[in-house]
Amino acid sequence: MADIATTCPFCGCGCGLYLHVAEGRISGVAPSRCHPVSQGRLCLKGWHAHELMDNPARLTRPFLRKDGALAPVSWEEALSAAAAGLNAALRAGGPQAVGVLGSARAANEDNYALARFARATLKTPNLDCSHRTGSLPTSGDLAALEASDLVLLVGNDPNEEHPAVSARLYRGRLNGSRLVVIATRRHALARLADVFLQARPGGEAEVIRTLLRALLADQRSEALAALKASVAQASPETAGLSAADVEGAARLLAGAKQVALLYSSSLAALPAAATARTALADLAAVGERAGAKATLLELLPRNNLRGCLDMGVSPDRLPGYASLVDSVPDLARAWGADFCRVRGLSAWEMPGKVKALYVMGDDLTRAPAAPDLTSTFLIVQDIFLSPMAQQAQVVLPAAAFAERDGTYTNQERRVQRIRQAVTPPGEAWEDWKIVAELSARLGASMPYMTAENVFAEIATVVPMYRGVSYQTLERAGGASWPADMRGPFAWQRGLQPLPRNGSGPRSSAEFPFLLLADATLGPWDQETSIANTLTVAVEFTLIGRDYPTGMLYLHPEDAKQLGVRAGRNVQVRSARGEASLKVLVSDETPRGVVLVPHWQALRLGVMEIAAGSETERPVLAPTPVAIKSA
Amino acid sequence: MTSRLLLHSRVEEFVARLLRAAEVIAPRRTAGGDLLYGQISAPSEVSWGYGIPTEPLKRFFMPQRDPILLFSQNGKLRVSPVYEDKARIFLAARCCDVTGLGVLDVMFSGQYEDPYYLLRRRNSLVLAYSCQEPDDTCFCVCGDAGPFLKKGYDQQWTRLEEGMLIEIGSEKGRKLAEEHADLLVPAELEHIKRRHLLAKEAETKFGDFRAYVAAAMRKLSLEEVESGVWDELADRCVDCGGCAFVCPTCSCFTVTDRFDGEQGIRERHWDACNYSCYAREASGHNPRAHRKTRLHARFFHKLSHQWALRNTRHGCVCCGRCLSTCEAWAHMPAAAEAIRRGVVK
Repeated sequence: MADIATTCPFCGCGCGLYLHVAEGRISGVAPSRCHPVSQGRLCLKGWHAHELMDNPARLTRPFLRKDGALAPVSWEEALSAAAAGLNAALRAGGPQAVGVLGSARAANEDNYALARFARATLKTPNLDCSHRTGSLPTSGDLAALEASDLVLLVGNDPNEEHPAVSARLYRGRLNGSRLVVIATRRHALARLADVFLQARPGGEAEVIRTLLRALLADQRSEALAALKASVAQASPETAGLSAADVEGAARLLAGAKQVALLYSSSLAALPAAATARTALADLAAVGERAGAKATLLELLPRNNLRGCLDMGVSPDRLPGYASLVDSVPDLARAWGADFCRVRGLSAWEMPGKVKALYVMGDDLTRAPAAPDLTSTFLIVQDIFLSPMAQQAQVVLPAAAFAERDGTYTNQERRVQRIRQAVTPPGEAWEDWKIVAELSARLGASMPYMTAENVFAEIATVVPMYRGVSYQTLERAGGASWPADMRGPFAWQRGLQPLPRNGSGPRSSAEFPFLLLADATLGPWDQETSIANTLTVAVEFTLIGRDYPTGMLYLHPEDAKQLGVRAGRNVQVRSARGEASLKVLVSDETPRGVVLVPHWQALRLGVMEIAAGSETERPVLAPTPVAIKSA
Repeated sequence: MTSRLLLHSRVEEFVARLLRAAEVIAPRRTAGGDLLYGQISAPSEVSWGYGIPTEPLKRFFMPQRDPILLFSQNGKLRVSPVYEDKARIFLAARCCDVTGLGVLDVMFSGQYEDPYYLLRRRNSLVLAYSCQEPDDTCFCVCGDAGPFLKKGYDQQWTRLEEGMLIEIGSEKGRKLAEEHADLLVPAELEHIKRRHLLAKEAETKFGDFRAYVAAAMRKLSLEEVESGVWDELADRCVDCGGCAFVCPTCSCFTVTDRFDGEQGIRERHWDACNYSCYAREASGHNPRAHRKTRLHARFFHKLSHQWALRNTRHGCVCCGRCLSTCEAWAHMPAAAEAIRRGVVK
């Protein structure tokens, strides 16, 4: 019996846990009290991380599509077919005709090898990850969160997606820290807050503008003039807030010595994400000018989204966030001087434009507008037969987090080890090894025998990882890359004037309600890993069983006016379409606003689809709707 | 039964002999610094300090995931139970954990006899280790579960200056002492006196956490808890289930079958009353659909008079593990205080 220390593979927190291993299988999980992130705590997901392994749904051998159906084949046959598919596309259309998707789930070693495969082997710039967000301005960590005398949370409830974060908020509150929450839904943390500023759907940035205006009212500084002028028109009334609440929050902000600004993962799914991000960065910069210590932490929805971006899985950045024109001699030494340095297509632009797409642990099918991949030669490498893999020509089985060595980088920039506890099922391989084998078949061998070899190269090429090795990562919590290496992150520039985002969608006589997709409600339901982690899947999908056609949060007064009761169906109609939804009466939603879980909203066909403001990822925009009792 | 003394110079040899006889489970420090009960392969691996291991002994009797049955259907149904039949010695077991095993014994040998648990239990030899330095989060003085035990162990070891004082608590414990009589000397009255002084002294060393459960028991048993308490605790709880998993007395489980058409396996998994699916019925009706009703049920089970009568004691052995593992600060001391006062701090 052994206890293998590793890192949780689900959200961006990166909690520490042990896997109990006996006779080649994992019998359970234990939390780690010495771990600086989780301190002995785990959430539902972490407590059942072992269910990912030894799971009958796992991919255990490669598959190749023959006569329309996926048939099991040898690695040799699968890799040859994959290489042939990529070669055919390269011959037909050059490097622009192939695309590569990395994974916010997979380890740094995998993503790094993949970035090298794209830019140095295929020489294509078409490299991305569907979870890529904007600038990731992160300067804080969980310890700073607990130590702050004021926390400003923008967006959804970390309780639902990042319990390790709310654990720190509770502990901070016991020590007297104050909490201001900006969100549309009056969630559990909003109820606990000292001041809750209820934003209109998509109006988080407008609330921050109002706060900035109140904070800057007495400022005469020249440096602040442009910012001050840009928020001069903001007012509590237009943001839908009471002036007393805004003043109360501004007073708390002005009086705080240490402020933590928390930016929840739900915001990235809103059209106004970029403005909200800039607004928060401004708020942090204003706080620092006033002598407060301000830290910013963005909560990330996946375990290694940070690491995936650090490794250069992006159409417009190189590893370590180097720009495409930077001189990067270390990278040129490792990859050869002729690697691809032009800007590529994003994940959402690739379908239809590339002839062959190689996907490592990513999935484009759960987006509001699912891409058409019918004419694409699709190679998917995953641990389960994901919806993406079901459409593939070649399916390659990968090892899960407990079946291999590697590193994840969490939302705080903490690089941590995952360690092999058991062997991969059947013929599954580590992701980086599959990438290297495929690269060799395309004529460019990679010099890696182990995950540690890959990491050693990362440590010479990626500035934030310099000097880090598996030895220095031995201790619980690993090592954080320095906060002052913010690279291109927007908030370093601070104090940017804030353009108004337009008034956003408004209700009308025909469509008197605003429908908002709430990413907080069952956010994990869309995840292939979660769907195959039995206990977690059962918990997270329960609501789907009770509301099979979809659920609608409706304010009690609105329900009374419409004459509908909880559990009854209503027709929801927008300019785009119509759907029948079961009502859940709740005062968590404001009057005139109705909420539907994001994962259910995806398939309703009612909501407007907008282009994201940071990446080309399509998002569900708040949509005016009419509701009538069915 | 007479107590014995194992001189410090002979502890290593004693443990080495245990290792030759059976699998030995003891508290160990991991490379990351955590204290976990685990299998040792050498006497030097035992952590002889005090402090509370992250998990109780439960998982050695009822693993988080336990295959209990293999079945196959190839024309005819064949079923074969999977038993873990091996001798295990639990060394330096904490008093709260030994007390917890007593509650599990009631559960698994009461209305239904559970062969998987009972076989592991019969194969076990529990050598308790009295706690002279409670951890920051310990409050076993509130729960009649330590820092020294009066019963429930095969042997209880107490560290004295010259060696380990070994008290015998069962026939199995006596037999073990007899087998290794050459390593032991009879304890003298002076040793026993010092053991009692140490027990008294240990009771003065507890930290800030307490669970004054008497009022909470009364209010829970008589359904007098203010409903606002459950509303507020429910706003914090994240349904992680951690409190149930680290609790030495929680025993809820669920059973899953996996069948590929020919071969099948039935596994038992830990379940937690915090989960929304826990009490959900096949019809879709869920008597505990709301978190506050689940929290109410949980603390009723832990602290009510009704359950204390069934379990022979109240359901908290005051090990403090839920304190360390609760995401929401809704652990036993906090909840007991909230129930007692009628408000959540």
